[in-house]
Amino acid sequence: MGRWVLLFILGVIAILMVSPLVLTVFTSLKPTTELVNPPWYPPISLTFEHYVRVWTEGGFSRYFFNTLLISVVDAIVMIVIASLAAYAMVFMEFRGKLVLQVLFLIGLMIPVTAIVLPLFQIVRSFGLLNTHLGVIFADLALAVSIFVFMFSSFFMGVPKALHEAARIDGATEFQIYRRVVMPIATPAVVTTALLEFLWSWNDLLLRLLLMTKDEMRTLSVGLLNFQGTMTRDVTGLSSGTVIMAIPVVLLFLFFQRHFVRGMTAGAVK
Amino acid sequence: MAGVELKNLSKSYGDVEVLHDINLSIADGEFVVFVGPSGCGKSTLLRMIAGLEEVTGGDLLIGEKRANDLSPRQRDIAMVFQSYALYPQMTVAENMGFSLSLEKRSKKEIAEKVQEAADALKLGPFLNRKPGQLSGGQRQRVAIGRAIVRNPQVFLLDEPLSNLDAALRSETRVEISELHQRMGVTMIYVTHDQVEAMTMADRIVVLNGGYIEQVGSPMDLYNHPATEFVAGFIGSPKMNFIKGRYAVAAGTTTLGVRPEHLTIGEGDDTWEGKVTLVERLGHDTILYVRVPDAGILTVSLNGQHNQNVGDTVRLRPNPDFIHRFDDQGKPNAADLVQGQG
Ligand SMILES: Nc1ncnc2c1ncn2[C@@H]1O[C@H](COP(=O)(O)OP(=O)(O)O)[C@@H](O)[C@H]1O
Ligand SMILES: [Mg+2]
Repeated sequence: MGRWVLLFILGVIAILMVSPLVLTVFTSLKPTTELVNPPWYPPISLTFEHYVRVWTEGGFSRYFFNTLLISVVDAIVMIVIASLAAYAMVFMEFRGKLVLQVLFLIGLMIPVTAIVLPLFQIVRSFGLLNTHLGVIFADLALAVSIFVFMFSSFFMGVPKALHEAARIDGATEFQIYRRVVMPIATPAVVTTALLEFLWSWNDLLLRLLLMTKDEMRTLSVGLLNFQGTMTRDVTGLSSGTVIMAIPVVLLFLFFQRHFVRGMTAGAVK
Repeated sequence: MAGVELKNLSKSYGDVEVLHDINLSIADGEFVVFVGPSGCGKSTLLRMIAGLEEVTGGDLLIGEKRANDLSPRQRDIAMVFQSYALYPQMTVAENMGFSLSLEKRSKKEIAEKVQEAADALKLGPFLNRKPGQLSGGQRQRVAIGRAIVRNPQVFLLDEPLSNLDAALRSETRVEISELHQRMGVTMIYVTHDQVEAMTMADRIVVLNGGYIEQVGSPMDLYNHPATEFVAGFIGSPKMNFIKGRYAVAAGTTTLGVRPEHLTIGEGDDTWEGKVTLVERLGHDTILYVRVPDAGILTVSLNGQHNQNVGDTVRLRPNPDFIHRFDDQGKPNAADLVQGQG
């Protein structure tokens, strides 16, 4: 009996979580004439006209490319920077290490919203407003602490003897990093890539703040276009949302097993 | 190849000095074993020679060249770790060839050298496997192979056998000895196991509490232990130490008699006691005998004997093999002059 109750509860939760997505997909595929129907009515005659409109006239092809560019660069550069920094923190001794550790810790604790204004000023003083580079720098700076910690905790699990064996074999620190440590750090690399990509993909605040020109915009900002002060382009908003969600969903499907493994790692082994 | 020289070497972690004034000269091609109880500083000393720990006092010379400030790669040494420390993502061949590939040697040369080492260690069939797919003994061989391939000046091993089971351990012990004879390279071997030290070493360095207790050939240490500690550490079963009236009668503070130097006998010069435990090993019989005023003494008798628990026996120490230690744990001066054994 308990089993059925549990299934029922889980079912309700699942419906609650999935329904907004389903309604959005429904709306995005409905011809304008069907919009009079309640939102949970499935589309009777399917149409992709809203997608085409959003993609071309709506400028979403441009936004999509911008978002992809920023997110991919963010993810790749983050892997390199965070792993190099973590490598130094874990495997090397140098002066000022403690100071650096404290700085990273502070970086973990300060929320983005608290430093939005100084961040804006810094990016402006570098002349990087309205450039993708400015956003990328800001993204990297804001999240680097987290990923340094992630890589550090992974590297701390690497036996010290491995690092020592490589030193004895005649490897330089960079060779150890590249040929011994990074090849076994795949879980940390994949997690960093996914998380940083997703955060970058979904972020609105920094993109809104640092880029005002339309041709620089990302999808998250682009979605705001559909929300006029008086009107609301429901079908445009829906298809734009779906366009933005597709890569994320694909990523999750593709790395699902990795995610589940990452979350349960260490629990049973 | 090269010798190694330690001059007034010391090591401190912060304010704590863990190795004190170490002086030792290791000849080219010698097999030296550092032995001592856990925590005595063996690994630290070896790692200083390897360049993994900074030298905080004194001088370290490798092949007559001061090596204090050289990085491990400049020292031309190889090391086998207790945990093996194989690179998990590389195959056996890649593990063994890693150092050569860092030197940018040609693929052909690397393959040849790896093959050569693999043949010597019977690793041929496993060259394309990852370390995770090997047994403990095979991993151990790969670790040794990785060191051989480099053809180093000095070969360092830190408790390389302690993760193997007993049978494999004695087998590998023999192989390492053979390897040393074949390569003729200077080897420094760390162990806490005096049997390994006795069976493999040209010379043994006994460490205790960060000091060198004694340096000598295995038989030197067995016959002429320089301190009570060495006397107790070298030899198995352990030497009996007797204080009290028997020691006083012999004119000393502590009397040391090895179990194999006690025999069953009769007469005035024997010590009477009761057997509390018997271990029959076939080739040897070990008796534990409670002797009033001397404690429980271990007696190792050659061959098979029929004493049982509860029997009263009389023990005779072989007068040629008695060790006498003063209250400092040093051999009595008179004995040193006479010499023993
Ligand atoms: N990194 C370190 N920091 C402080 N003390 C250490 C460190 N490494 C080793 N020691 C101390 O040095 C002594 C010798 O250690 P070690 O050389 O590992 O002993 P062994 O190998 O003979 O068992 C020990 O007392 C140990 O606590
Ligand atoms: Mg040790």
